[in-house]
Amino acid sequence: MLGALTHQALSIWWPATAGGRSVFHSFRAVRSAAYANTVVVLYVVTATLGAIIYPAYRIGVRVFLEDLRLSAANGIFELKEHVVAVGLGLLPAYWYFWRQPLADGDAAARKAVTALLAAIVWYSFLVGHVLNSIRGFGP
Amino acid sequence: MKAASVLPIFSIVFAVLYVLSMENNWALFTYFARAREFHWLVVTPPTPRAGPAMYWYGWLATSALGAVAVAAVAGLLRAERAGRLWRHLSWGVPLAAVLALMFILRGWFIRV
Repeated sequence: MLGALTHQALSIWWPATAGGRSVFHSFRAVRSAAYANTVVVLYVVTATLGAIIYPAYRIGVRVFLEDLRLSAANGIFELKEHVVAVGLGLLPAYWYFWRQPLADGDAAARKAVTALLAAIVWYSFLVGHVLNSIRGFGP
Repeated sequence: MKAASVLPIFSIVFAVLYVLSMENNWALFTYFARAREFHWLVVTPPTPRAGPAMYWYGWLATSALGAVAVAAVAGLLRAERAGRLWRHLSWGVPLAAVLALMFILRGWFIRV
């Protein structure tokens, strides 16, 4: 999902030009519309899995972070849970603006929605890794 | 694709309702993680053993139900014909929601 959204965002914000041969050019020269349905499914699956393990975080990890007075660490997670929720609500618009063919006047909305969703997913990914590094899983 | 044209409206309303739900605690239900119990609406822990009350699921449910209702009404009223407006609001409102959430949560990062 992270890769697909990054491909999509870069391909529409910085479209590949003809004749480019670099790795970065190839990264942008993808059929980005083909990723849309997969991104929606993977986001829902990932958010659902996150929601399932959230109580374990609430009981075990958050209390641990509070004991260590790591307020910012708790804060970045609080923000993560809320932006993930906004991202869930954004999925219908995202799917709508990636339907084919692209309607007249929808290009800017497609770019903006994709960038916002990509930013949400990148933030969530990074926060998850930071918190996992602080506390880790298991007892 | 007519029904699909209300999807951006869903996203706009969801973002607004989510911020309002979170800020005012309009949870449709409450979950007690330790006791593994669901209760309708906003409930405070009945006993310490129940563990912390979790409202996030309830806020999601409130926002989703409200957004479905508004999008359905918008579809009936053919409000999606104001396409240009919805197009821009569909990313502008969620972005504003994220910024509002950052402001609301600033106390975690700075002393206010």
